[in-house]
Amino acid sequence: MSGEVLKRARYKTSVKDSGVAGVLKMTEDKFVFMPNDPTSSARFDVEFRFIKGHKFSKGGSNKPALLNLTQDSEKGGGYIFEFENYPDREVCREFVGKALAKFSEASKAGSEQSAVKLFDEQLSTIEMERRIKLLREDRHSVPEEKFGVLLLKGILPLFGETIIAMKLIDSGIASKVKWDCSELQKLHKQFVLSGVLTEAEFWATRKKLLDGNTSRTSKQRVGFKSAMISDLKPLTDGRTNRVTFNLTPEIIHQIFAEKPAVHQAFLNFVPNKMTEKDFWNKYCRAEYLHCTRNTVAAAAEAAEDEELAVFLKHDDILASEARRKIRRVDPTLDMEADQGDDYMHLPDHGIFRDGSKEIIDPQYEQYRRTLSQDLNRHAAVVLEGRPIDVELEDTRTVAEALAKSKRVEAANEKSDGSVTRERLERISRMTEIEDLQAPRDLPFAALCIKDPRDYFDSQQANALKTLGDTLAGSKQIKCSLSSQEAYGSLRGFISEIKSVGLSDPIVKPDIALKVLNGLTQNISSTKFHLGKNPQESVLDRLPIITKEELLHHWTSIQELLRHFWSSYPITTTYLYTKASRLKDAMSQIYPKLQEIKESVQSDFRHQVSLLVQPMLQRRRETLKRRRRSEPQEGPGGERTMGSIGTDLAVMERILELVKPILEHSKTEQEADQDHHQNQARAQHAHLTSTAHPVRFPLVPGSRENCSPLCGLVKMGVLLAFSLSDLREVGWRRRV
Amino acid sequence: MKFQIEDVTVYFPYDNIYPEQYSYMVELKRALDAKGHALLEMPTGTGKTIALLSLITSYALSKPSNPIKLLYCTRTVHEMEKTLAELRLLHQYQLRHLGPAARILALGLSSRKNLCINPAVVSAENRDSVDAGCRKLTASWVRALAVENPNIPTCQFFENYEKAASEAVLPPGVYTLQDLRAFGRDKGWCPYFLARHMVQFANVVVYSYQYLLDPKVAGIISKEMQRESVVVFDEAHNIDNVCIEALSVSVRRQTLEGATRNLSKMAQEINRFKATDAGRLRAEYNRLVEGLAQRGNLPISDTWLANPALPDDILKEAVPGNIRRAEHFLSVLRRLVQYLHGRLETENVEKEGPVAFVASINSQAGIDQKMLKFCYDRLHSLMLTLEITDTDEFLHIQTICDFATLVGTYTRGFSIIIEPFDERMPHIPDPVLQLSCHDASLAIKPVFERFQSVVITSGTLSPIDLYPRLLNFNPVVSRSFTMSLTRNCICPMVLTRGSDQLPVSTKFDMRSDPGVVRNYGRLLLEMVSVVPDGIVCFFVSYSYMDGIVNTWNESGILKEIMQHKLVFIETQDVVETTLALDNYRRACDCGRGAVFFSVARGKVAEGIDFDRHYGRLVIMFGVPFQYTLSRILLARLEYLRETFQIKEGDFLTFDALRQAAQCVGRVIRSKADYGMMIFADKRYSRHDKRSKLPGWILSHLRDAHLNLSTDMALHIAREFLRKMAQPYDKAGVSGRKTLLSEEDLEKMGDGTTNEMLF
Repeated sequence: MSGEVLKRARYKTSVKDSGVAGVLKMTEDKFVFMPNDPTSSARFDVEFRFIKGHKFSKGGSNKPALLNLTQDSEKGGGYIFEFENYPDREVCREFVGKALAKFSEASKAGSEQSAVKLFDEQLSTIEMERRIKLLREDRHSVPEEKFGVLLLKGILPLFGETIIAMKLIDSGIASKVKWDCSELQKLHKQFVLSGVLTEAEFWATRKKLLDGNTSRTSKQRVGFKSAMISDLKPLTDGRTNRVTFNLTPEIIHQIFAEKPAVHQAFLNFVPNKMTEKDFWNKYCRAEYLHCTRNTVAAAAEAAEDEELAVFLKHDDILASEARRKIRRVDPTLDMEADQGDDYMHLPDHGIFRDGSKEIIDPQYEQYRRTLSQDLNRHAAVVLEGRPIDVELEDTRTVAEALAKSKRVEAANEKSDGSVTRERLERISRMTEIEDLQAPRDLPFAALCIKDPRDYFDSQQANALKTLGDTLAGSKQIKCSLSSQEAYGSLRGFISEIKSVGLSDPIVKPDIALKVLNGLTQNISSTKFHLGKNPQESVLDRLPIITKEELLHHWTSIQELLRHFWSSYPITTTYLYTKASRLKDAMSQIYPKLQEIKESVQSDFRHQVSLLVQPMLQRRRETLKRRRRSEPQEGPGGERTMGSIGTDLAVMERILELVKPILEHSKTEQEADQDHHQNQARAQHAHLTSTAHPVRFPLVPGSRENCSPLCGLVKMGVLLAFSLSDLREVGWRRRV
Repeated sequence: MKFQIEDVTVYFPYDNIYPEQYSYMVELKRALDAKGHALLEMPTGTGKTIALLSLITSYALSKPSNPIKLLYCTRTVHEMEKTLAELRLLHQYQLRHLGPAARILALGLSSRKNLCINPAVVSAENRDSVDAGCRKLTASWVRALAVENPNIPTCQFFENYEKAASEAVLPPGVYTLQDLRAFGRDKGWCPYFLARHMVQFANVVVYSYQYLLDPKVAGIISKEMQRESVVVFDEAHNIDNVCIEALSVSVRRQTLEGATRNLSKMAQEINRFKATDAGRLRAEYNRLVEGLAQRGNLPISDTWLANPALPDDILKEAVPGNIRRAEHFLSVLRRLVQYLHGRLETENVEKEGPVAFVASINSQAGIDQKMLKFCYDRLHSLMLTLEITDTDEFLHIQTICDFATLVGTYTRGFSIIIEPFDERMPHIPDPVLQLSCHDASLAIKPVFERFQSVVITSGTLSPIDLYPRLLNFNPVVSRSFTMSLTRNCICPMVLTRGSDQLPVSTKFDMRSDPGVVRNYGRLLLEMVSVVPDGIVCFFVSYSYMDGIVNTWNESGILKEIMQHKLVFIETQDVVETTLALDNYRRACDCGRGAVFFSVARGKVAEGIDFDRHYGRLVIMFGVPFQYTLSRILLARLEYLRETFQIKEGDFLTFDALRQAAQCVGRVIRSKADYGMMIFADKRYSRHDKRSKLPGWILSHLRDAHLNLSTDMALHIAREFLRKMAQPYDKAGVSGRKTLLSEEDLEKMGDGTTNEMLF
């Protein structure tokens, strides 16, 4: 693109405006308008990437030569320039056109990397939209109208993009739509807007979320429409004898799929023998003949025009396909086999004209096509699904892709030997009368608990029914047992087994069951004590505000910790400041939790502390795990609200340790790179964090809890098996 | 489970049994003991087939000294496959409990087209070409030539089979058609001839009706069957129609033209033989003088379809002298064709009896009744002599001779109807001469006479006293069983009004009323949005279905229906219908849901099950009356009135309702299954129509469901579907057990208490 363009022009806010005279200067990536009158406010400097398109007036005798650079295609607002003459305008128009084309390409390609490159980097609009969409995603549907505006205010200074703001406001997001405040929004609001995290940091750990969404949307392929759109209906205007057929790419695709002969003809004739337009003209002509239901006329036309005949005659490809398919058909359905087994095999045997048969002149038989055939064919194609994955715009590519997929299908069929066996198995299964037979052992799928709450809710019923005694056991859970005692008891059992020998079965089933129930009941005991409707979770019993707050704090803690550990090891000053910011934020949550605990009614206080406890515990555990070099803190058994203080102390100590090293070692530049690695690592940590052994089971939204719990249960079973008579109390304490 | 019925230990492959199955077996056993015929109606979905197979095989096992043979006749090949699959299940169970003693040989038998494995032959399109293709390779003279000239192709599979001679046997087991083909491929033997041969030794043979009912086929296939056989006609509600069709022939212009061509071809052949091999013709003449009885000694590959008339009548007599010479016979046939040509030229509809017709032939063409009677056999003898292998080319002359033989044999129960055009299309001249049989008992008479027990069973044989009259036999057991249901798993409804409260009907004056068409469409549309999985709709005829579907398409109703479910339609093309059915099942399997449009007297209604999720609702649009203006039907009605004193109206209603009941009965397979049935016509609410429905439907048809409109039916459907979705106790509520275990049967003792179950 050649350097720059400089032209005289008048800037106008609207077409009728007289405008401000000045000079328009366009360079590769921006355009600058400088008014002749230096005092005028109409001076601006706009980059091309905020320009969505351009419009211009038609060249005419008296009309002004206008060029409108639009910011938003829907709104139409933008920068209007009037040039002195048309040639000037043309030069500018071409230049703008090139510049815009370049930018639209660049923004498509570059959006992925650009998103995380710099903290204050400008985001592509696609990326931005995606983020906004995520923020808007409704999870708990608590409407909060104000938030929309808040969010906007939050985003605007960060991005400094008036254009996005305009877009958002224009499309009425902020003003009209009720904003659903999701968890993500809350977090965003809390951390990004309050400055704990930057926008980029916040999103970096959620890159997966962003990617995941896009890949999901692109993956889902749309099948054929159930409606028979290939059944073209001619439209008449009522005055002339002209009829109109409308073809869209979608319809053409369906025609190709449903009528292989047309498809084949298209591949053969277009574009060598006739143009695409001619082809469809012919096709529509054939359709018209067909819909007049005049087989004689159709036959006459077909006799004259062999290409037309292709559309009018029976589809040979379909017929051969049918012959191929009929061999694989379920023999209990195969009516074709009857054909050869009938006494009717001598022609004219049986009762000929009993009113059920219809007569058609065999000469025209091949030109007769019924709606039934079309319907059957259409339904079959819809059932098969859409085999190709190309844009429907170009008819030729669609035709070729379809042909390719058919070849693949045919090849697959040949190699498929297991189909017949499967079919036979199915028949034998079908012949059985289901309720006379004892139920078959169906192949079972592995248990996968999507929502652990459901599982433990259902466990309540079990617990209530069978276990009066373990109730007592669960109460002892808080008393401590020293490792010596536990070891001693274990030794005792082992020696007992040595002397007595293993009993058969090793574990009495009832004990194993007790153990398992005890274990799970332990986890769900809170609810058990409530003794209420199993559908209700503890959280539901809390006042809504408390519940919301609790949940919110829980997610905030998760978020903070994730960021904290993503910046570990702390090697740069940047990370150091970030970590300290996080620590501060964390320390603010502590008193809030304390507050919640105190604010609730005494009935719920126990529940709340039970809920809050694992949150605190969790944080401490993570700290311990990651920092093995640090000394262990706090007592082993009891968890208190006080421990959050120690967590904070730990964080502080880390920061202190790191600080001096940092100051001498690395440059800022490297730090940036490191930071990116850490961001990536953080995502990884987020994914693999399911391996974390202790989780808070009753908080919704933390779905990954399920597997540790299963692990726990498994562990319990294993334990129960290895130590036959171990009293529940003893080892439960260890667990 | 196994249990005793009197002195027979019955092996039943399931853990439980329905009480009605048990009673069915008890009745069946009594019939077998009495060596008499039985007529048993049991609702569909109660496991008739397995009860039958189980009892009869167990009966045979319990009497090893004189085991009975089971000839099981099905309507269609796919039913044959289903039956054999059930039999295999049973056989495996018996083998587990009895060991090798329980070994039986059971096989299905079908035409060459379904059994041939020679790729060169089986690729032919229709049955006749396959038959001819086979003859070209296996006829005795072809093989004789091939011995001298290795360039003449023969069928490798047949040669292998012949070489193996007496060693070519099927080991015991259950063979479906597919198994037979697989076995044949494995051994290199021709499965068709192997099966034909093994039929004599098999314990159970499953084949289609016409192998027994059509005298032409029966004469060849079934002549070796011993008298101690049990013949079962399953799904026999249409058996009278099958019998009638087996003895009906129609002659059209095309037939006569084809026959003329065939005759001149044969004349050429005769001249050729006269020049080269006059001895052959003379030998044939001598054979004919001795009578045709020796035809039975022909090699298996040369056999033809036997005489369409009862063979015994014919074989006693020698061929009349004036058609023994080939040229004379040809000239007789020419005269006959000429005469028929003349008769077809008529302007008016003509109807006459066989006697008058034969007299007219005699006076005008000089062919007497005896010559006519022997035409079919004489023709085949000639074709064998002339060594004609491309039999598919000579079908027309066979039809003419078949016609001649029938006309010459029967003097009553037939009429000849000549129509210059189809009533519905008077502008298209299409003259046809139809020899139509009115008396179903003619075709089935030899079966009743020959075999000691014939069992006729179906889900719909109501009114059960009509069948013995139609078929002219005396059953020792004739019973109709009801269905004991664990829950009300069938929900029949009579819909008389559409959503606009106007009556709906397919009565002739109403059926094309746009209001009725629209109401039917709305009914389906509403149902499609409520009922899960598969829905089956039956229409009264193809033309009506075409018309209504086209109207729905034009008014957009079809499009709306397609938004809920895929639409498949039965057409007159069986290949297409089969594929549509296959796709329909797949659509139901994958959860997409589908609607199948079918015709009440069509092939789908006859033999395809829409059990379980393949059919949760059947809508019967209209009453499937026969085309009452058909001359043939009128002639038959007249015959029925005169001979059996059956009123026309009664017969028509009976016929229509057995079709309707048959259609809706396809939805239930077991008691765990459920389905709704909508009879959408105001005429069903009338007592005289409704009362002809089988008892098991009537007992579930509540008074409140007799006069519904679309919205009410929709409401009932919703309720019903919700109720069916609830879990239930399969064994039945205490007091009325609907599922019996082995212990229950033992407790019941020797079958004296089982009556109280019903």
